[in-house]
Amino acid sequence: MAAIFPSLEWLEGLSEKLNSDAKYGQIARNWEGDICFVLEPSGPLTEELLYYLDLWHGKCRKTEILKDLSSVQPKFVFTATYDNASRVMKGELDPMQAMMTRKLQVHGSMAYIMRNVPVVLDFIRCAREATTEILS
Amino acid sequence: MQPILKVNLTSGEISEYIIPAEWEGDYLGGASLAARLLYAFLTRDLDPVSPESPLLFLNGPLSGTSGPTVGRFVVCGKSPATGLWAESNCGGFWGPELRFCGYDGMWITGKAEKPVYLWLNDGRLEVRNARAVWGKDTYESQSIIKNEIDLPGAHVLTIGPAGENGVLFAGLYCDHGRAAGRTGLGAVAGSKNLKAIAVKGTKKIPLARPELYVPLRSSANRALKEDNLSHVFHELGTANVVDYADYLGAMPKKYFHSGIFSGAEKVSGSTMAETILAGTSACHACVIACGRVVRLEDGEKRKGPEYETIVSFGPNLLNDDLAAITRLGELCDRYGMDTISAGGTLGLAFYLFEKGIINKKNTDGLVLRWGDVKTIEQLLHMTAHRQGIGEFLAQGSKRFGQHFGAEEEAVQVNGLELAYHDPRAFSGMALVYATSPRGACHNQSQYFEVDIGQVDPGLGLEFFDRQAGAEKAANVARHQDWSTVFNALVMCIFANVSVETVVRLINTACGLDWGVEDLFAAGERAWNLKRAINNRLGLTRENDRLPKALLEPYQDGGSAGYVPPITEMLEAYYVARGWDPETGKPTREKLQSLGLGDVATDLWG
Repeated sequence: MAAIFPSLEWLEGLSEKLNSDAKYGQIARNWEGDICFVLEPSGPLTEELLYYLDLWHGKCRKTEILKDLSSVQPKFVFTATYDNASRVMKGELDPMQAMMTRKLQVHGSMAYIMRNVPVVLDFIRCAREATTEILS
Repeated sequence: MQPILKVNLTSGEISEYIIPAEWEGDYLGGASLAARLLYAFLTRDLDPVSPESPLLFLNGPLSGTSGPTVGRFVVCGKSPATGLWAESNCGGFWGPELRFCGYDGMWITGKAEKPVYLWLNDGRLEVRNARAVWGKDTYESQSIIKNEIDLPGAHVLTIGPAGENGVLFAGLYCDHGRAAGRTGLGAVAGSKNLKAIAVKGTKKIPLARPELYVPLRSSANRALKEDNLSHVFHELGTANVVDYADYLGAMPKKYFHSGIFSGAEKVSGSTMAETILAGTSACHACVIACGRVVRLEDGEKRKGPEYETIVSFGPNLLNDDLAAITRLGELCDRYGMDTISAGGTLGLAFYLFEKGIINKKNTDGLVLRWGDVKTIEQLLHMTAHRQGIGEFLAQGSKRFGQHFGAEEEAVQVNGLELAYHDPRAFSGMALVYATSPRGACHNQSQYFEVDIGQVDPGLGLEFFDRQAGAEKAANVARHQDWSTVFNALVMCIFANVSVETVVRLINTACGLDWGVEDLFAAGERAWNLKRAINNRLGLTRENDRLPKALLEPYQDGGSAGYVPPITEMLEAYYVARGWDPETGKPTREKLQSLGLGDVATDLWG
């Protein structure tokens, strides 16, 4: 299945990857919390996209493309322009670097994020591996 | 800038020193300007703890202006620990309060007959008897002096017993536990019988273009408050990085000899936030408030440890008890001892004990077991009072190692203990430590932040792998120059403020019309001046080195198997700097290009 980032197929493919990847399952075994990625329009992306993932103990329990955040209260909201998000997906921008240089805004407990850096990094690895093409 | 108040404690002479305008322009303030002011006085035969030795407290042009994290000041002189250039900057409120008195600095020489403290109330200076506070710890001293002064809003900078007793890593402390901890300047103050300086002012700090500076300051503070990193520092303090540093193998354990420590997560900023954190504290006008306030089992609120103290008394000594680390940090603050050097020197003692190089006969019967908090605490008491083995610990790790025939095991550069950012994880720190003007210091460039990708595009820095080699030498030099600007301002290195904003803040505060490269030039000028000061004090290329432990790879952890190629990196660094590869001195041409012709003549004839 072609998994073009960003798309519903990509989100579903990422969910499958997270649920089948043994390394992620091990590293994220203690992670508890849903997340939402807000992709702001830039480059080829012309409208805002909100991707929701419910992550729990190394598994992805639910995914959804949201219209807005009114129906959910995710533990974390990550916001980036599409250009910066695609650079993370291409491996050109480290996710921790993106957070420290204002390219990726985080709303939620930074204590939890800093404690779980390996989970964040391995989640991105899975996201990259679930991607066959990036919108350009 | 405002004048500097000069005080000779021997003669009692007090005078105002007007800073030459051209030096203000070339050096801005803080440590850079201090280097220019002290250049002629820091000679090779000057004993750092003699009456002639200068002690210069200096603000920067932004100090106290309520800009983004600019409430700091710096103390400079000749280090009794290294024999080289000494600078140590400090937060809190003392620096701004000094500016409110109408002075941008205080320049102390001489030696009082008996212990004294200085009380500066606006323009009026009193030299007061310090009998009531001599021997008291820094917290008690601040409290007693404030009571004596009985004027709300006064701030007290003081030494503790360590400074009185000449501990070579004694510092100066204000606003509870804000520290100018490094390079031993507390011992210089102690040698002058100078216990403390209290300040309270009501004057307005001059700004060249206040109508532009004030709105800019507001917008800069708003942006800083919303920044991701500011959130991290506010929520977790500087110890936010513990988990990540542990993951990367960047947080030293067992005195730089182990790549892993199972207790690391128990001492992180996250753990602190989830367990003992009771509040935060901020320096003057800071919107971040990275200071920690914690509550331990006795129910009392107290200062919580920051990253360096946590590692120093935690993983460095294989101790995973966060409450104990808090108490050990407080003990050092009260005695007035730098926690980095204290933990570093104790680390060497524990390491040598394990190796059998020292034993119970050397340690007054103490068995030095890794992680033994009671022994660590006892050694700190002995160090501050220079009792038993403490006499040697009080001299820092280089001299401690020398005394026991194991100087090469001391993890220090030029007599200053390493901060806890391992160059085997961040190779840029290899050059930073080897070439820092004050010994193994992380505040002359926090290049580890660059090595994990925190690169403001406005700095013009390339991004290299954290374990890249000589190719990053020019990058490191440029980042050192930028950090030198921060140390001139004197601005907190935790502020993620854009380069463009820093330039505009300086221009509007100082009436300049500078660009980014002008600032870099000021940074480079001061970096080379400090290098020249050290060359005159005897520093050569052989001093640019890393200790043995850092040239041995970790067997495990996030940076296993790597050592920085320091020889190649230094060669590239000298080229990037324009320094003579034989002597390590800045070349005549380099100095002249920076407007340091007089220094070129001194170094090269």
